[in-house]
Amino acid sequence: MTGAELTIDLLAKHGVNEVFGYPGGAIMPIYDALYGAPVKHYLTRHEQGAGFAAVGYARSTRKLGVCFATSGPGATNLITALADAMMDSVPLLAITGQVPTAAIGSDAFQEIDVLGMSLSCTKHSYMVERAEDLAEILQEAIHLAQSGRPGPVLVDIPKDIQMAQVPFKPWLAADEYLPELDLKQVAIANQLLSEAKQPVAYVGGGVQAADAQDELMQFLNKTQMPAVSTLKALGSVLPDYEHYLGMLGMHGGQAANIAVQECDVLVCIGARFDDRVTGNLAKFAAKAKVIHLDIDAAEVGKRKPAKASLIADLKTSLPALECFVTPKAWCDTNKEMNIKHAWRYDYPGEKVFAPYLLNQLSQRMPKTGVVCCDVGQHQMWVAQHMKFTHPSNHLSSGGAGTMGFGLPAAIGAQVARPDDFVITVSGDGSIMMNIQELATIRRNNLPVKILILDNQRLGMVRQWQELFFEGRYSETNLSDNPDFVQLAAVFGIPGQTITHANQVDDAITALVNSKGPYIVHACIDDKENVWPLVPPGAANDEMMTEKAK
Amino acid sequence: MKHSLTIALKSQSIAVERFLRVVRHRGFDLTHFQLNMDDGFYNVDMTVDSDKPIHLLTSQLNKLVDVKEVTLQNLQQQQAV
Repeated sequence: MTGAELTIDLLAKHGVNEVFGYPGGAIMPIYDALYGAPVKHYLTRHEQGAGFAAVGYARSTRKLGVCFATSGPGATNLITALADAMMDSVPLLAITGQVPTAAIGSDAFQEIDVLGMSLSCTKHSYMVERAEDLAEILQEAIHLAQSGRPGPVLVDIPKDIQMAQVPFKPWLAADEYLPELDLKQVAIANQLLSEAKQPVAYVGGGVQAADAQDELMQFLNKTQMPAVSTLKALGSVLPDYEHYLGMLGMHGGQAANIAVQECDVLVCIGARFDDRVTGNLAKFAAKAKVIHLDIDAAEVGKRKPAKASLIADLKTSLPALECFVTPKAWCDTNKEMNIKHAWRYDYPGEKVFAPYLLNQLSQRMPKTGVVCCDVGQHQMWVAQHMKFTHPSNHLSSGGAGTMGFGLPAAIGAQVARPDDFVITVSGDGSIMMNIQELATIRRNNLPVKILILDNQRLGMVRQWQELFFEGRYSETNLSDNPDFVQLAAVFGIPGQTITHANQVDDAITALVNSKGPYIVHACIDDKENVWPLVPPGAANDEMMTEKAK
Repeated sequence: MKHSLTIALKSQSIAVERFLRVVRHRGFDLTHFQLNMDDGFYNVDMTVDSDKPIHLLTSQLNKLVDVKEVTLQNLQQQQAV
């Protein structure tokens, strides 16, 4: 068996049925081994598209996402997707072809030091130096990507090793080191909870990584604790939970941000006090004692000290917390705040109002559907105005904030979940970052839906230029955008443009009922901003609102 | 504040690159570095300087797959004794 054949064989043995990639010189033996193999390959039109499709595949299923690229520019094109997976803890395996071993270090054609380049954007990475090590490395890489805190792992395989005869050596994962709960810390946490008058649960992306939604909801239902969510955790707290206050942070809801600022105990569940969440860290939840639950010890105390740290799998640590019932007065206060600051959709104008459109879409699309976002104003509107019942149904580039994520991520999600409704909500800036992947939708007859919120601007940057740079609109005008419906039509994707509020309902009907791919190009007011907003350097209860701007 | 650490790691050049990248990126200046091969591992003695608490570095180093052990000695405390 050659190294290339072994690579494909091992993937199949580990349950990898679908991979995404783009061939080239140094990875040709692996593509040859793919020919006729049981692993189905999806050809994207750019390696970054392959990387994000694999991320979408992984995030929509919690399975390993796999992508292939050739050496040199093929591998460099994957780097952004690796960085995205690193920041959002996504189990991803990237396999890159490398120039033959004898040519490494000679500046050969399409030679780049991919291993060196991978160091800052992978959980771990390898370059295979000996054919006899290939099997062990691949098996270890597959294990590492999915174990503990998941993350991207890269394996760079020189072409001669792909072509060499290689032995298969079964590799047995060493007993996985999983931190054991420190019972003293559990006791401290339970003492803090027993004394709490105004506790809040701050829920992060770790809940999805740990598949701990059931444990989270059991804890919340028993304690009746008010809960807020990070961008990545949306869907973890069920939207009909009586004490759910929505997303916190820079564009979080006012009720969520105020509750956190006022709380006396903050139970951080698989979150990492990201700067977009905390605003001014010194003023963030300043009165709160923190109980921090995370599988990654490096996150505890990294940004905010914890009084109790439960370093373990959330499936273990959440049930260890005693379920003291939250004082009713605190719950009532937050309920009132939630009603007082509820989103409003009574937009007076005749133009398409993006929050209304997204809220209607959320109500009318299947609850099992997947929404993939790009980055910017539309991303925040999705987070604010759509509801999710599982974090695998909301794929948004959180830590890295990568424009161009949405379309290829939706392709990956649709491949992984062929029977589910999958839509990418994008902006006119973001969609152009990986627009070539319309060809991948066409090639594979994928029924991916596309909604573009088009303000002919790089809207979020424009918003900041308006608010914080004295209206100096440097390089954010995109009024020379192409006709997106015509552009999609070239790839065989039907659709429509809407410009008025009275067209919204019919457009959603067309999107939801379409059996194949469909695009709605919604033209919105270029001056529309995302509210509320915590300005730079401010505390989360110092939000700017539309009226106060 | 200066801190002295001893690190045992896999004896591969890439392992050294990987952990030194973390030292730099997490905001610690290298002021002393010595590497010896021992029993199939690299043993590194190093001193770093930073205003940041040292646990922010050791917790990141402990996550690296190639790193087998991180031992910390507080240099200023040592000198005081």
